Amino acid sequence: MKKIEIAPSTKNGFHHWLVQRISAVALIPLIIWLVLSLIEIALDPEGYLPVFFAYPLNAFMSILFFSVSLYHGSLGMRVIIEDYVTNKSKVHFYIMLVNFVSITTATAVILAILKLHLIN
Amino acid sequence: MSNNTKNKLSKTTLPTSPHLQIYRWNISSITSIMHRLTGVALYFSILIIAWFIVYYTYSFGPISEKENCECLMTEILKTLFFGAIIAIVFSLYYHFCNGIRHLFWDIGKGFELKTAKITGYLSIIFATLLTIATIITTLYLKLF
Repeated sequence: MKKIEIAPSTKNGFHHWLVQRISAVALIPLIIWLVLSLIEIALDPEGYLPVFFAYPLNAFMSILFFSVSLYHGSLGMRVIIEDYVTNKSKVHFYIMLVNFVSITTATAVILAILKLHLIN
Repeated sequence: MSNNTKNKLSKTTLPTSPHLQIYRWNISSITSIMHRLTGVALYFSILIIAWFIVYYTYSFGPISEKENCECLMTEILKTLFFGAIIAIVFSLYYHFCNGIRHLFWDIGKGFELKTAKITGYLSIIFATLLTIATIITTLYLKLF
């Protein structure tokens, strides 16, 4: 039989593991804030949603939330792609695609939140 | 090994495990696969919410399309939207609970078979209870 080739270590596995855990811990308070503020929005959508990002805490926490969650999400998607996609060049393509989409989305949403924050 | 078998082995792809049709599901595998599925679902929902905020910011004026039409399509879409919200809320709570379970594993706690089983059930139960509590609270406060 053909000798099994062992993939060479890319030397960044531990860093990936560590930052995924750190972002997970950071997301715990952010998720609690998110749920509470979503309930607050749901209490009075028409009155509260347009001025939601005018509050400094909301703008601050939402920018943090989107950055950390998209980072955590792209790390998680990378693991899933590496596990389920067998073609090596496709793996690299999808990882780059996920990173591209995450960074683009984070930039766009942070700009939008800043605009909503400064406009009000 | 005959030459024929050899060729067959090298040509066929590697067997995929778990063999889903004969697989006996247990709580650890269910929680693991659900953690991944909810994670992917949450990633895509965050993308949609983020781009909705961008659209909301740069669209001219506030979005105020009040449709009083009681068409069938609108009703179906509303039901689908409500269902999607419930699914996302459940995914969020489940990923949150099971994520905390994973973090405890990372500091080396809760690896005993019994504990892992109990916490697995607990994360599903807690997520379901929190989802129901959130829906009841929102409906009670006439939010939707």
